[in-house]
Amino acid sequence: MNPAIHTHTFDNGLTLVVQEMSWLPSVSFDLLLPFGATTDPEGASGSAVVLAEWLYRGAGARDSRGFSDALDALGVRRSGGAGGESTLVSGSLLADALPEALALYADLVRRPHLSDAEFGLARTVALQELDALDDSPTQRLFIALSKAYFASAHGRSHYGEADDLKALTADAVRQDAARRLAPNGAILSVAGGVRWREVKGLAEELFADWQGAGAPLPVAQVAQPHHEHIAAKTAQTQIGVAYEALPPGHPDWYKNALAVAVLSKGMGSRLFSEVREKRGLVYSVMAVGRAVRGYGYTLGYAGTTPERADETLRVLLGELVRLREGVSGEELERARTGLLAGLVMEGESSGGVAAGLARNTFLFGSPRPLETVRAELSAVTLGALNSYLAERPEPHFTVLTLGPTAPAAEKVSAVRA
Amino acid sequence: MTFHETILPNGLTLIGEHNPEAQSFAAGYFVKTGSRDESAEVAGVSHFLEHMLFKGTAKRSAEAINLEFDAIGANYNAYTSDERTVYYGAVLPERGAALVDLLSDMMRPALREDDFTLEKNVILEEIAMYEDRPPFKVFEEGNARFYGQHPLGRSVLGSPESIRALTQGQMLEYFSARYASDNLFLAVAGRYDWDAVVAQVERLTRDWRPSRAERSYPDLEGATGEVRVTLPNLSRAHTALYAPGVSAQDPLRYAAGVLANVLGDGSGRLYWALLDNGLADSASLSHDAADGAGVFVGYVSTSPEGQAEALKIYRETLQRAQEGVTEDEWRRAQRKLATSLTLRGETPFGRLMSLGVRYQTDGRYASVQETVSQIMAASLTDADTLLSRHPFDQLFSFTLEPEPT
Repeated sequence: MNPAIHTHTFDNGLTLVVQEMSWLPSVSFDLLLPFGATTDPEGASGSAVVLAEWLYRGAGARDSRGFSDALDALGVRRSGGAGGESTLVSGSLLADALPEALALYADLVRRPHLSDAEFGLARTVALQELDALDDSPTQRLFIALSKAYFASAHGRSHYGEADDLKALTADAVRQDAARRLAPNGAILSVAGGVRWREVKGLAEELFADWQGAGAPLPVAQVAQPHHEHIAAKTAQTQIGVAYEALPPGHPDWYKNALAVAVLSKGMGSRLFSEVREKRGLVYSVMAVGRAVRGYGYTLGYAGTTPERADETLRVLLGELVRLREGVSGEELERARTGLLAGLVMEGESSGGVAAGLARNTFLFGSPRPLETVRAELSAVTLGALNSYLAERPEPHFTVLTLGPTAPAAEKVSAVRA
Repeated sequence: MTFHETILPNGLTLIGEHNPEAQSFAAGYFVKTGSRDESAEVAGVSHFLEHMLFKGTAKRSAEAINLEFDAIGANYNAYTSDERTVYYGAVLPERGAALVDLLSDMMRPALREDDFTLEKNVILEEIAMYEDRPPFKVFEEGNARFYGQHPLGRSVLGSPESIRALTQGQMLEYFSARYASDNLFLAVAGRYDWDAVVAQVERLTRDWRPSRAERSYPDLEGATGEVRVTLPNLSRAHTALYAPGVSAQDPLRYAAGVLANVLGDGSGRLYWALLDNGLADSASLSHDAADGAGVFVGYVSTSPEGQAEALKIYRETLQRAQEGVTEDEWRRAQRKLATSLTLRGETPFGRLMSLGVRYQTDGRYASVQETVSQIMAASLTDADTLLSRHPFDQLFSFTLEPEPT
């Protein structure tokens, strides 16, 4: 039983994607707005994160407090925030309250007050969140790894930079909002105990006459692969690796997804088995596929105490390189079973479905029904996967480490050679 | 939804919540053991043992366990808290029997010496990882100071010293006492055939025996006042806060949960006092209704220079609440909690956790609807009863902060 996915793109460029899950009393929605750190104006990084915070601080007929109380009165569980290419405004609630909740969110994106008084607070909050990263080495590692990996604005920290944030003005961010906060390219996904016709009517009423072209996304470009170390007095050395994979929509996309699952899905996966189970080097190790529009890459991660960092890095990179030698039939079947089961289970939760619909529509241009993904994953044979892996170019790693001492550079180059 | 409950002759209890609409099946063993059940000599043994259950049985090697979980497409893991240890997985219904077989076998681990020695490294890495996470560390250290000698103050991870000193023999002894048929139960949720589950588990667990394991419930005399500790290499000030609450057995626990939400949820009073204006980057309060003793638990994170002011406002916000909360605030908090519960109940996996924890606490089943009704039935009168005890006058705070520059 796989409920149909309904889509409609309004004339203003807003795409509505709905999956009816009639058995659920609840509903979740994601409003994906196509602005983020990547399209922050030059020298004004953090504009998106401040705007995302500022939007909640009064909209329509309500001030900041009144808006928050109105969402709470409907029991809306809020989530979201500013990211790289997009900003998410998301909520989960009981399905009967969706019309009232969406009306509030229409106020939020279409009629935000963006008052001077609230601007200062929104910026202070953004600065606090930036400062809080100092005590989170793993987050710092991934932010630094993105900066090192991308040559384009895709590498920017989603939190912005302190100096830029301090220099932002209310007027500048308001002007920026007029440019970037727009329906064109936005996606509203809704999943749960609702009816397509009703949601479409509601979205039409609330959003169809919203106007704005939005800002175009830049093309992703990567830097020359290299190795960097950030000195930090931490108990563990954080190790991050990034290397090129496939762009979303590539014909071999699902082969790559299966290969990454062989590496890292489950405790029987190669990384967990080789780095943790056989050698006891880490508590946490993983690889994950990441994508921005038009570009895909793989991230690897391990955290270990400094004296084991050399060996951990060597084993981690060694496994990433070894993947090109191919996988076994059992490995492929485990990866496939895991991905398929994961899809079904994600499909049981309204939040999981709504998030998937929005993400896929943004990256692939369409929501990709479960049946399509299932068919694609099922079609990959062992021979086809191993040919694909053998033909992949040698991976060139950007390696970032953060900790008391830098792992020996030769460990990195030894694996690459 | 249909509830199932069967007690096997050896005392092992099985419970299930059947949902014919579900597309998956979740199962978990809930063991009534955690750091509160440890002596100081074996600090961290519950959590270390949790790792060891993945390291093999008489029939399966560690690798075989991992590979089998993956082969059946399971979403699986385990966790240890001060009160319980839970091993769980979710799969498509046709793999349900395989999941139950695997989890049941794991409950009788081999605890081999070489696995024990290798896994010590992983535990030490996990401890090192949390060393780098001050929001976690502040509670490890804060708990010890607030609870004092009370068992709820014990660290789940243990210390590097206690883990290094732990022997395989000590773990075996702990295991035999705690992983007995009458000190754990199996819960399942989603789509399954109850008779088949019962028959399978009865066959798999026939050799399990009860141990009449006990848990001690000394009175909790929590610390009061303020403690500060400076740490090198810290950037922010992290504060853990504690005030007396009510136990999991207390009828006022729902009201305590709603009250904590009014004050410390993402848009509660603490948000408006400390986060809206950027005085802190995090400020929250929740209520932990533990077995036999309950505590309101809070957290604040600020810049080092802003900590004193933020802590003062935090305290004042809670003390002002003792004068009463409004009807509107109460209703909003109830609605938010009811929505959260309903959302968690969407999937068998989410239901399994609520179902198991609730059953372990109360010894009986409660549906999502029943729990929602209990939350909605908590009244402002209940809140007044709680607040008339002035719990927040006794607020204890423990702060980790950077060395002054």
